[in-house]
Amino acid sequence: MRARINIKVAANNSLIFPHIEKVIMIDELTRVSFTNLEKVLYPELGLEKSNIIKYYISIAPRMLKFLKNRAIVMNRYPDGIDKEGFYEKDAPPGIPPWVETFNKYSETAQREINFIVCNDLDTLIWLANLAALEINITLSTIDNYETPDLLLFDIDPEPPCSFDDVIEIALSLKEKLDELNFKSFVKTSGKKGLHIVLPIIQSYNFRQTREFVHQFGKFLARESELVVSEFRNSRDPGTIFIDYLQNTRGKTMIAPYSLRAAPKATVSTPLEWNELKKGLRPEEFNIFTILKRKSDPWEGLMENKQSLEVN
Amino acid sequence: MAKEKSTAKPSSRSIWSGSITIGLVNVPVKLYTMIRDQSFSFRLLHNVDGQPLKYERVCIRDEKVIDWKDTVKGYEIRKNEFIVFKKEELDAIRPESDERIKLDKFISLLSIDPVYFEKSYILVPDRSEEAYSLLMTVIRQEGKAGLGKVTLRTKEYPAIVYAYKGALILTTLHYANEVTNPVELEELTKLKNPSKNEMELAGKIIKELSGEFDITEYRDGYRERIEKLIQMKMKGEIFVAQVPKKEEVKELMVALQETIKQLAK
Repeated sequence: MRARINIKVAANNSLIFPHIEKVIMIDELTRVSFTNLEKVLYPELGLEKSNIIKYYISIAPRMLKFLKNRAIVMNRYPDGIDKEGFYEKDAPPGIPPWVETFNKYSETAQREINFIVCNDLDTLIWLANLAALEINITLSTIDNYETPDLLLFDIDPEPPCSFDDVIEIALSLKEKLDELNFKSFVKTSGKKGLHIVLPIIQSYNFRQTREFVHQFGKFLARESELVVSEFRNSRDPGTIFIDYLQNTRGKTMIAPYSLRAAPKATVSTPLEWNELKKGLRPEEFNIFTILKRKSDPWEGLMENKQSLEVN
Repeated sequence: MAKEKSTAKPSSRSIWSGSITIGLVNVPVKLYTMIRDQSFSFRLLHNVDGQPLKYERVCIRDEKVIDWKDTVKGYEIRKNEFIVFKKEELDAIRPESDERIKLDKFISLLSIDPVYFEKSYILVPDRSEEAYSLLMTVIRQEGKAGLGKVTLRTKEYPAIVYAYKGALILTTLHYANEVTNPVELEELTKLKNPSKNEMELAGKIIKELSGEFDITEYRDGYRERIEKLIQMKMKGEIFVAQVPKKEEVKELMVALQETIKQLAK
């Protein structure tokens, strides 16, 4: 099928937003063969697959560095977000030869899994064409799969906790991290929570990062009535769980700048810490607003790997 | 020495002149600022070249800078709905400073709840030394304060005039509706009456800790640290920022250290 998407790019094809200079046909850019471009994936907003592909092309300059050399887990919604989606770790059949993969034995699945690795724009476009709206990444890279280079505090509220409550807890966590001289980065999950990430040197195992986050959870739980630190309480109404369990081999987090399968086409959005103020709503960050953001608050995240020693 | 340092220097110029009026009696006075806010203020600079920055009025929609002369005042009645006032309209209803501190009655100085005190000014005689001295001496002896009203700049305040350290002081007061009534706070409706034993014990503690009011015992530690820092910086000493760690955070630190150590392979 001939692609009919026009995409605006800089004259040197570098796709740097927002220096728009010329309009070219998308298939001049990519090796991907498109299917069902008019398929409506976000019915409430009337967004078609072509809109999703355009989004991922435009965000690629910011997003790709966070996907680099990581196993990808896709949440695919081929019939749109109102219909059941499915999550897929394994590369689907008929994968183009130029898509990179990573072979790993999975203990849970008890077999070899052929993960997709998204190191270039073509692969990202190809994922979008698969209606892989949500792109998840592991917290380690494929060259050192057992050793995390990201540590994740997943701040996960249970109603009736509000997003303001989540912000309050995130800021108090940030304060502790600052006091201990850790540099932290925050993003919306695109749903109800916030993710706080520490880029770390590859010297620790997942048990260490998991328990590290758990310790913070226990500490915050003593300070705030809202916070629960244990998984068994994580569904208690009106609480906020500091989820440490994602810091596990093979577990993933939603990638920075990935869309979410939510009615408003929200995006998991890296924020500056000073943007995090009461009244902020995660829905403000969506497919329509993200590209207007002037800079990437997570710029330099990968260059800020730190030790977990406290002193 | 400490005592001298702990009071602010008087300002050189009066900010207002007029009269205290009691019925038909007038005592011409001038007003000096009494309260000097000693909190530190910094200028905001551009971190690249150190140039001072100024504030501008920027349109929320298109971010254009708007001149003062092109502004009007709006009162928001609903979100994004404003009633607009021109300068002349507001000027017409503004209270006039009639240059009078009009005292209506004399009350016991101690009967005023401190929550109403707003800001204090020093009154000095304006070629009215005799009358001034008489008024000050008599209300000091009686322990009274004159209660009335005054208009300063564009606001009318309830105010008291009383004697302090050989001067008459004007203290503006808050209006009743500016001060929250504690009765409205739910937490205060559930208070229990303490037992006799508890009262005795608490009474003892208070007795042991009783003393005189001496405000110079209290210092603004933050200000003093900043002053010290400025001195250091002026001498070119390098200052390494050290945020003191709170006790609880130290606990967390230990837990984290243990975690990393114990779970290492």
